[in-house]
Amino acid sequence: MKNSTLLFRSISVVILLAGSAHLASYASQSSNHTSGTDLEKNTISQFPEEKKQAIENEDRNNETSNASTNYYNEETDYIIGNWRVTYNSKEFRGAIVYTIKKEGNVFNAYTYQYEDESGNSERAKSTKTLVIKSFDGYKGKGIYTIEYKKQIYDIECAIDMVDENTFKLSYDYYGYSDVETWKRQ
Amino acid sequence: MIEFLSKQLDWVDVNYWFYLINDLSLLYIIIPFFVLELIRYAWQKRLNKNLVFDSIANIITFGAFLIIEIILGVLAVTKLYYWLYNNASLPHLELNWVTIISCIILADFAYYWEHRMMHRIGIGWATHTVHHSSPHFNMSVAYRFGPLDAIMPILFSLPLVMLGYDPILVLLSEVFVQVFQTLLHTEIIGKLTRPVEFIFNTPSHHRVHHGSNRQYWDKNYAGILIIWDRMLGTFEPEVETVKYGISEPLNSTNPIKVFFHGITRLFKKIAGIEGFKNKLLVLIKPPDWMPKN
Repeated sequence: MKNSTLLFRSISVVILLAGSAHLASYASQSSNHTSGTDLEKNTISQFPEEKKQAIENEDRNNETSNASTNYYNEETDYIIGNWRVTYNSKEFRGAIVYTIKKEGNVFNAYTYQYEDESGNSERAKSTKTLVIKSFDGYKGKGIYTIEYKKQIYDIECAIDMVDENTFKLSYDYYGYSDVETWKRQ
Repeated sequence: MIEFLSKQLDWVDVNYWFYLINDLSLLYIIIPFFVLELIRYAWQKRLNKNLVFDSIANIITFGAFLIIEIILGVLAVTKLYYWLYNNASLPHLELNWVTIISCIILADFAYYWEHRMMHRIGIGWATHTVHHSSPHFNMSVAYRFGPLDAIMPILFSLPLVMLGYDPILVLLSEVFVQVFQTLLHTEIIGKLTRPVEFIFNTPSHHRVHHGSNRQYWDKNYAGILIIWDRMLGTFEPEVETVKYGISEPLNSTNPIKVFFHGITRLFKKIAGIEGFKNKLLVLIKPPDWMPKN
């Protein structure tokens, strides 16, 4: 069999299989994005009226500016990847690795791996923890999900890039505030 | 159906399924089947010292292969996989059934090409000849590996990571292909039904692959799907009774000799060839290649 035939048939197989996977993944992400927006709206309804208004305005702005921006945006999409955060609280000492993915017009962070103080690691259940609703490459805003005394809170947070491998995530929820340092893994 | 196939899955569940199939199959299929093969050898009065020592050598070569694999994995391979996944890959694929199934089929296709390369270039055959050098054909032969067998597959699995598949999923899929392959190393199962023989790699097709009969050389490279061989011109059905082994028999059950004989033969060949360029060409040209002069 000619080498060109082998090459053509092989490339066809790869395109067919990997293409199907990407199509399915894209379709699934689009539907997740729709349901994700519904979820976010439910979360927003728990906020005071002025905050709700601010976030909704921000959403509208994002929808306008980011319409059909699923392609790679060099200015912002470098945030995609794995990020490690070290915690040193009474409830948890160790680190959590998050995976930030671009889904539709937002960036979502999912828990990826837990590490204890001794460095032992365990794969985490992929849970959406952070929704970055706006991000210009330097600063961003979003909703951060935290667990405190077995209660789950969705709170507003701000993101400040220190450099391309580090950013600060800060939040202040009725006096409960913290700043986390996220380092690229 | 499409909704089911594209529904996002949990890593914990996927890992558990692969654990049941990849890891535990040794206990519930492979070892019981090997015992059955030993009983059959005894029944046919073929159970002799050579077969027992050959099987022990197979397991020892697997141990050596595993050590090399672990060292490589810890030192560099996983880091390289993740670096490519984070810096040089298509958008990352979600974990769903379409991703898993396509990853297994692509891992199988990558295995076909890796296997074909192992047979068709000098350095590949120097390590893979170990697997083919046994004059017997049973489940223990599936564990007979050469010293570089852990390195070659890396070249072919890296493109999968670059296509957006999670490195762990790629690794689990590759092990799945290997586990399927293991089950094919048996003389107990004859030919299966036509549709199965047409689509899947079966013990019959894999016996051909291990044959030293001239018409069986470099045929049936497939892992799970024999359609790759049918599609790429390397298929051969089992007609003549298969004689197992290689064209230059090893005649040894010494595990060290078994593990290194391919590399030793390659070095001897290189030493006997004149010219630096020719010595390099021995590594990448087909195993039977010799310079014209």
